[in-house]
Formats: sequence, C-alpha cells, structure tokens
Amino acid sequence: MKGKGLLEGLWITLRHLFEREITIQYPEQMPYLQERFRGCLQFDYKKCIVCGLCTKACPNNVLSYESQPDPNSKKKLLLSYTIDLQYCMFCNLCVEACPTGTLYFNHDFELSEYQRDDIKIVYEIPRSAQAVISEPADSPIEMVDSSAEPAPQPDEDEAKKQKQINAMITALKKNPVKAVSKLVESEAQAQILADILQADEKKLVRMATMMIEDREKAGKVALAFVNKELKDRQQEGGAGNEPE
Amino acid sequence: MENWFVNIAHALTNWLTGLGLSAGWADFILLVVQWVFIIIIVTLNVIVLIWLERKISGFIQQRLGPNRLGPFGMFQTIADAIKLLTKEDIIPSATDKLIFRTAPMFFIIISVMLYVVLPMGENMVIVDLNVGVFYFISVGSLTTICLLMAGWGSNNKWSLLGAMRSVAQMISYEIPLAFSLLGVIMIAGSMRLSDIVAAQSNVWFIVLQPVAFIVYFIAATAELNRGPFDMPEAEQELTAGAYTEYTGMRWALFFLAEYTNLVAVSALMSTLFLGGWQGPFLPSWLWIIIKTYLVMIVFMWLKWTFPRIRMDHLMSFSWKVLIPVTLANILLTGIVLQLFKGMGW
Repeated sequence: MKGKGLLEGLWITLRHLFEREITIQYPEQMPYLQERFRGCLQFDYKKCIVCGLCTKACPNNVLSYESQPDPNSKKKLLLSYTIDLQYCMFCNLCVEACPTGTLYFNHDFELSEYQRDDIKIVYEIPRSAQAVISEPADSPIEMVDSSAEPAPQPDEDEAKKQKQINAMITALKKNPVKAVSKLVESEAQAQILADILQADEKKLVRMATMMIEDREKAGKVALAFVNKELKDRQQEGGAGNEPE
Repeated sequence: MENWFVNIAHALTNWLTGLGLSAGWADFILLVVQWVFIIIIVTLNVIVLIWLERKISGFIQQRLGPNRLGPFGMFQTIADAIKLLTKEDIIPSATDKLIFRTAPMFFIIISVMLYVVLPMGENMVIVDLNVGVFYFISVGSLTTICLLMAGWGSNNKWSLLGAMRSVAQMISYEIPLAFSLLGVIMIAGSMRLSDIVAAQSNVWFIVLQPVAFIVYFIAATAELNRGPFDMPEAEQELTAGAYTEYTGMRWALFFLAEYTNLVAVSALMSTLFLGGWQGPFLPSWLWIIIKTYLVMIVFMWLKWTFPRIRMDHLMSFSWKVLIPVTLANILLTGIVLQLFKGMGW
C-alpha cells in the first residue's frame, strides 16, 4: 500500500516523543564511560622498568624520559617521565607495548588547559623514590622516610663520593669563606654565603653535596642564597629603621 | 466563564454609548479593541508556539529542546524576540527598497486579517461574514504575493527562486484546498462559519468528510510553507529562500506571520472539521483553543517527521492526486446529498 512508509515514520517519531531523551546535560551530569575509555594517559613510576618500549611504540613522539644507570645494579634509574599530551592521539600503542602495565588511560577526559605548557605532563620522580633504590640509608642527603626498605650497600664509587662530600663539609666548617669563594664572584658575597651556611647546618650539608656532585648547580643555588639574604637584610633595614 | 468575553464587549459598548457616542462609533471603537486584542493574542501565541515547536522537535529527536531560561526553557523565545528587536536593520544596497520594506508588513497584516471571520467561541466572531470560508481562502492566498515581493525585492537568486517556488506551490495547492472545503460547504449549506459550526452539533464533519479533511490538511501544510512542503524556505538548498536577505525585526515579522497563519489555518480546520467551539463542560473559547493546539501539534509532528519533498513531486502530487481526489469527493458528496434529499431527509 502506498503511504505505508509515511505512517511508519509518523509512528516512529510519535514513539520517540514519549521516550527518554538521550541528551546528557554534560557539566552537571557526567557521561557514563566504558571501562576501556581512553581519557588521560597516566604513568605509574613504581612499575616502570625504564625499558623504553613505550617511546619506541609511540608514533607521535609523545613520550620521553630521562634516566641514568643505576650504580648498584644493571637496571636504569628513571629521573623524569614526560607525556606531551597535545600530540597524543590516544592510539593505545604505548599501553599495549608496556610490559609492566605502567602506562594506562584513566577516565579523565577534561584535558584542556589555559597554558600550552600545562598540557605537558611531567613526572619528576621523587628523590625519595630514587633513594629507596639507590642511596645508602646513612647518606648525609638522606631525606627518605624511615619506612624505606633496606637500601643496597653502596659500592666503591659511591663511597669515594661520600668521602669527598665529608671532606667538603669539614672544609666548609673550618674556613667557609675560602671554601665558597670559588662559587661566587666577590669576597663580600662569599662572606655572606659563609654566614648563611654556618648558621644552618642542613644548608651546609646540602651545599657540600651539591659542590661535589654538580658544580654549576651549586653556583646557582649559592647566588640565589646570597641574593635572598641581601634582600632580607634590605627589607629589615627599611622596615625596622635600624642603623646598620 | 462561558460569557466572559461577550459580557466584556457588551459592557464596553454600553459604557461608550453611555458617554454619548453614537452606536456606530461605539461599534467602531469595539472593533479597534478587538483588533488590538487579536494582535496581542497572536504575538503571545507565537512566543508559546515557537517554544512548543522547538520542544516538540527536541523530544522527537530525543533531545531536550530549550531548557536553560526559565522553567522548561519557556523564556527562550522571549530572549530570542529581544535579540531580534535589538538587531541592526540591514537593507542591502541592491534591493528594491520599497518592496523589500513593505513585504513583511503586508505579510503580517494579511495574516492578522484572517482572524476576522474565525469564531473563537459562541457569539465570539468579529465579523460574521456570509462568505466566511471564501474570505478566508482568498485572503489567505494573498500571502503568496508577499513572498513574491520579498523574493523579488531582495534582488538575490536564492530569494527569487524561493519566491517562484512559493508562487508555483501556492497556486497548485490553492485548488485542492478550496475543493476540499466544498464538500463541507455543500453539507452545511452555507459559507458562514458560524452556520458551519452549528451544522456540526450532531456529528463533526471529519466523520462525514474524512477525505476532504486529509486533503485539506495536506494542502494547508503546503499553503503554510511548512515541512515537508517548505520549498520556499528550504534552508538546505536556498539558505532561507525568500527570507535570505532579511535580518532582525523584518525577518521576525515573517516568522511571526508564518506562525500567525498556522494558528489561523488550524483554527479554521477545527472550525470546519472538528466541531468548532462546541464541546462539553468547558467554555466554548477554551474548546477552540484546545482543538487548535491539537491540530498545530499534529502539524509540528508532521514537519519533524517527513523530509522535504522534491519540487516536481510536489507539483505532480497536487495536480495528479489531490485535485482528482477532491473532485471525486465533491461528486460523491453531491450524489449522496441528492439521494438523502430524495429520501426526504
């Protein structure tokens, strides 16, 4: 019969008129997401074995990491892991490549940011986590919480380094101005820095470690210390009207 | 409740004649009041109707429709109206200024003129013309000229195409529209709308004239430029057809007129086929409102169900199907009427 299709169409729309709406009022009402929905890529550093398979699997070079060899074993130590999410096409290849289940997608799909830099997700592996694996429990830079597992014994290199650090600490304690004079430019600055370090034992230890491990960084930190101290002094002088 | 509006009108005339005016002047002022009343009703109605249309289209497509402003999004149309009122009035330089400007005005005036003959309740008709149906059809078809004016005045290919389509479509569908009403008029024996309503006191004409009702419904959809016959507007093909160059309030006037026409045609349909203002319990003016709204909801249902049909199909459907069907309907009605007359009914 002609016109049967028309009636059928009318019947369909009439049914829809009384059916439940499928619209989701998004900000107020969150959508139901399937279990394997690919939201934001997540990284679980505790599981990572730094094999690099994820970076090889990624077609868009989204993933990158920094590592250093672990002196205690043949493994590598992860320093930081970066997911540049703006290039990610959520293809799941990295997740499939990962042998330990380190990478996974969560259900968070609200990924927009105000700044371009904020799109990048950088995992700085906390020092404590590294210390657990690498550093001796009695190291002077030890800031690990006591719950840390017993650390492996330091090898020779590490012991040598430790000796140097200890020597530097004693040097700093004995003749601070001379010891720090290489870090800063002028003698006045060296004097201020020496004062700071003598006042605070913790800072002294940290500075000594840094001077052995990374000279450049130590210099920068020292300069920052000095500048801050100078600023503090100026403010104090201005506010308190104390004759200096 | 039944006689509210009639009583108000009587009180007004009595008061005016009491002030010392002659009966003629009192009637004239009453006419002006009725006219203003119609315009207010029409405008408010359009606000409700646009909301209803958007809501129904949403529900049919399993969406929510407007739902942000006010309860159930009811104030959405008001916000839209304010937006349209405050928009810049753009008149393109190449247009025929006079025609371009007057087209929407004529359109809305003609649409409001339709309400003059519609009985909106018992004894509630502004001018009870003895050629009411004829008046309605003839005035209603004048809207074609406004669309042609808009399309021609816009000096735009799309507009002109839309206008040409509208003229072709309306001329074709005017014939089955008028023919389908002939059966009703033959049975009622009058073109006066109040007589036709009175003739339906026992049985509605939709029962006696089902074919005429369906044909009238289809032809009226085409007359109203509503989907699936919205060829003159056809936004996917002609941007907005005859309305392409219009903005702001001028465009809104077209919109207003279209919905005004919709209300008028639906009211006429409920008057001619659905027993008019007759109905139990409720006052007569409420009955005609209920019936009119039901018819309009069916119009909306059709619009949001069917896709637009092709221009040549549209024409051939009118000339090859509707007109023969209505002619046969008239013939059959005449034969049956004569038979009944011969039997002494």
